[in-house]
Amino acid sequence: MQQNRNALKVAMVAVLTAVVVVFTLVVRIPTAKGYLNLCDVAICFIAFTFGPWSAFIAAGLGTALADLISGYAQWAPISFVVHGVEGLLIALIVRQKGNEAVSFVRKLLAGLVCIATVSLGYFALSALFISTVSVAAAEIPGNIAQSGVGFVLGLGVASAVKKAYPPVRSLSW
Amino acid sequence: MGPSQSDSTSSLAKSRVPMPNALSIEHLSFTYHSYVQKQCESLFENLSLQIEEGSKTLLLAPFDKGKTTLAKIMCGVCPKYFPGTLEGTIRVFGTDLATLEPWQLLSVCSYVSQNPQEQFIANSVEEELAFPLESLGLGREEMRSRIDAALQHWGLDRLRTSSEQELSGGERKRVLLAATEAIDARFWILDEAFDDLDQRWRDQLKEMIGKGNKTVLVLASRYLAEFDGLFDRMLLLDDKKVVSPPQQQLLSRFSQLCQDDLANPLASQVCTPPDVRQLVCTDLVAERRRMSTLEEASFKVHVPHFSLQSGELVTLVGPNGSGKSSFSRILCGLDGYLSGFIKFDGTSLSGKELSKKVGYLFQNPDLQIFLPTVNDELSWSLRRRRDLKQEEIRRRVAACADLFGLSLSDTPATMSYPLRKALQAAVYYLLDRPFYILDELDSALTYHTALSIIRDLRQNGAGILLITHDRQFAKRVQQRTYSIEKGRLCEL
Amino acid sequence: MTINTFVAGKGLLYRFDPRAKLLTVILLCIWFFLPVSLVGLYTVVGLLVLVGALNTGFSHIAKTFLSILPMLLFMVLFMPFNVRDGESLISIGSFTLITTEGLEQATRLAGRFIGITYACTLLFATTVMQEVMLALRSFHLPYKAGLVVTLAFTYIPFIAESFSQIAESHSLREAESDQGKRIVQRLKDLVPTLTSALVVALRSIPNLAMSLELRGFGSEQKRSSFKDLSSYRHPFTHTLLSCIMLVVFWVLFRVQ
Repeated sequence: MQQNRNALKVAMVAVLTAVVVVFTLVVRIPTAKGYLNLCDVAICFIAFTFGPWSAFIAAGLGTALADLISGYAQWAPISFVVHGVEGLLIALIVRQKGNEAVSFVRKLLAGLVCIATVSLGYFALSALFISTVSVAAAEIPGNIAQSGVGFVLGLGVASAVKKAYPPVRSLSW
Repeated sequence: MGPSQSDSTSSLAKSRVPMPNALSIEHLSFTYHSYVQKQCESLFENLSLQIEEGSKTLLLAPFDKGKTTLAKIMCGVCPKYFPGTLEGTIRVFGTDLATLEPWQLLSVCSYVSQNPQEQFIANSVEEELAFPLESLGLGREEMRSRIDAALQHWGLDRLRTSSEQELSGGERKRVLLAATEAIDARFWILDEAFDDLDQRWRDQLKEMIGKGNKTVLVLASRYLAEFDGLFDRMLLLDDKKVVSPPQQQLLSRFSQLCQDDLANPLASQVCTPPDVRQLVCTDLVAERRRMSTLEEASFKVHVPHFSLQSGELVTLVGPNGSGKSSFSRILCGLDGYLSGFIKFDGTSLSGKELSKKVGYLFQNPDLQIFLPTVNDELSWSLRRRRDLKQEEIRRRVAACADLFGLSLSDTPATMSYPLRKALQAAVYYLLDRPFYILDELDSALTYHTALSIIRDLRQNGAGILLITHDRQFAKRVQQRTYSIEKGRLCEL
Repeated sequence: MTINTFVAGKGLLYRFDPRAKLLTVILLCIWFFLPVSLVGLYTVVGLLVLVGALNTGFSHIAKTFLSILPMLLFMVLFMPFNVRDGESLISIGSFTLITTEGLEQATRLAGRFIGITYACTLLFATTVMQEVMLALRSFHLPYKAGLVVTLAFTYIPFIAESFSQIAESHSLREAESDQGKRIVQRLKDLVPTLTSALVVALRSIPNLAMSLELRGFGSEQKRSSFKDLSSYRHPFTHTLLSCIMLVVFWVLFRVQ
């Protein structure tokens, strides 16, 4: 009997997208862009625990939906691209077979890529489509802080979840 | 779909002569995959079971002995989604389950899960019923008539477009039953279907099972009065096999397996608390927490008088939706109240201070479990206090694990449900609160296990408020009882 | 946590075909980027706000405006950084604060921002999410993608509810209160709650996959559909109407 994994993939991506949405909307600190939130924690967790595709779709779709729900519709396509790429790149950098721990160098690289993608991505796309270069530049520090903290927390949460719920290792895409 | 698969489906749809059994299990053995060093114990060994088409069967099994796993194996989703090693052959209407995918069983075999949340896949009640019908490829008129009939039959008509998250436990069960009725498969597997339903719906379910020529298998962990006279056959899951002794013998063996024949753990406990603390509520009025946007009017919770002392065991009974949870959340400081007093030893408390005196054990034990081993989980709270030494922490944790029957190196995520409940209680025991509120402890546990947990929690002389909607359980506890209805609390 | 973007009402927009509405919003967003005069831009924005108020009510319009206010204020604040060389408008001494071009750019960006926000908000306020998905499906969005979005919406309330319960139950376990803790400590304290919340969410994945398959997902047989957009009788008329309107606005207001 052929193992058809379609249902599992759909279920995984749907639940992970919902997780990203909840993490984005649950803690909010209002700023000019919208709000500082925990979405990067969720995205990094998914990137570390699941594979590149899940991370890409869940991160992109999740943040886009969160933007739509909270009325910042204009950022939805931008969030989709920026966070989707963020999830994809981090997952690709830390991906490996087997259960050994990821080397510190890779984690550092992933962290830098995370911060760079989010801050530069939002900067470039906001400046092009929403506001001016200066307004977009003003958001960079906030984005750096949010993504950096999110990455570190995501690392901690990912290792905690793997230990607390071992079956998660069999879920990956 | 390859030729062999379409043959199987068509043979499922019209198997007539000779009549194979609806379900035929031979020499089944199953063990869950273990993610830790310790191997899991096998759930079934050489289990065989035959169910004839058109028969109504009851399978009794004590909690946590693999009843739900067996149901999932019958539907073909285990071990696909719940990894483990399976041996043996299972045939549904003559076709080997190993050659089928779960979706091919849609019109053949319906499974109603014990936990409705597990089976929900749609945004609203109507869509939940429509999804499987869409999978069957039915025309719109046909779908509409089936859905209307099913919703009407189960009293869900006015809840048609509401989100499933807003429904009560009983309503959710009814949604699953309505979906099963709309799909109209030949073989129904009902896992604890009578459980959350009110009497009226239990009677309706009983009637629906009894009539018609459907094959029905009901799995249950408690023998309910509704089962009398309903079933052709009664089976018992005993020692990893299915047996079918005569009814009297079966029932007595079943109660033995549930440890009902053991002495009530509380009967022999004499509780003398070191200090006597008093928790008193007077003239409490609070706004009831809104459960959903469907409610017409939110009512208030009125508590003229409520008292709990150290060492006491008090029960609070009431139907679903009467305000039990709202009251307990107020009592432990999670929610606020409009007027009145909650006094602990004479001082009025609220909010965080009240939380430090009254512990609240949620019905779902997984809400608090997040660490890799039992040892970590138990020592976490103790380590955060700065006044305890390592040795002292270790001693307390070991004593507590001993008391509750837990092994320190176990992984909570893969422990069985009764053990996770015991772990939850153990965590709170170490917090050493003077009072505990236990929310629906008896659901999914044998009476014996639940009572043992209560006895262990009372070890240090804590006062306990037990919330339940099962009056049988409340009778076994037999101390002061309060009853709550539509928000009004009164002592019985 | 409310994820419902729909605001009940009875106006014309509610009877407009969802496919036409979707197309209109996309075309409108493109229109806002075209070279049009400032007057034209704000006329269209004004019309949008008016139509919105007539359909979803004034309070909804006001709420939307409040949510984008911070961004607008930022744009105003950063006006001095816009186009530095040009005709000086306001200056302190010999230091040019704001140029005419800078003011124009800021006004244009603000107008575009308000316009696009209202267009998208109105789309989701007057169309039930299910119908938006149906409209996307008619534009050939793959079935699985639509299913993923629908399932995500189904699970958001469940995960949010679990999250708040977990946060409460962890706070019940805590000895000290939250006040006076440094931010690093607070973030570290968040890890248990986040871990439990993620484990609860992860547990539901195999169950969801199981239920999907038991309810027939995955079979090659073609699925029928219970709901469709046939209650909207005039999709082509509505689409044509919006296209004509947008072309008119372009012709009227374009900058030669």
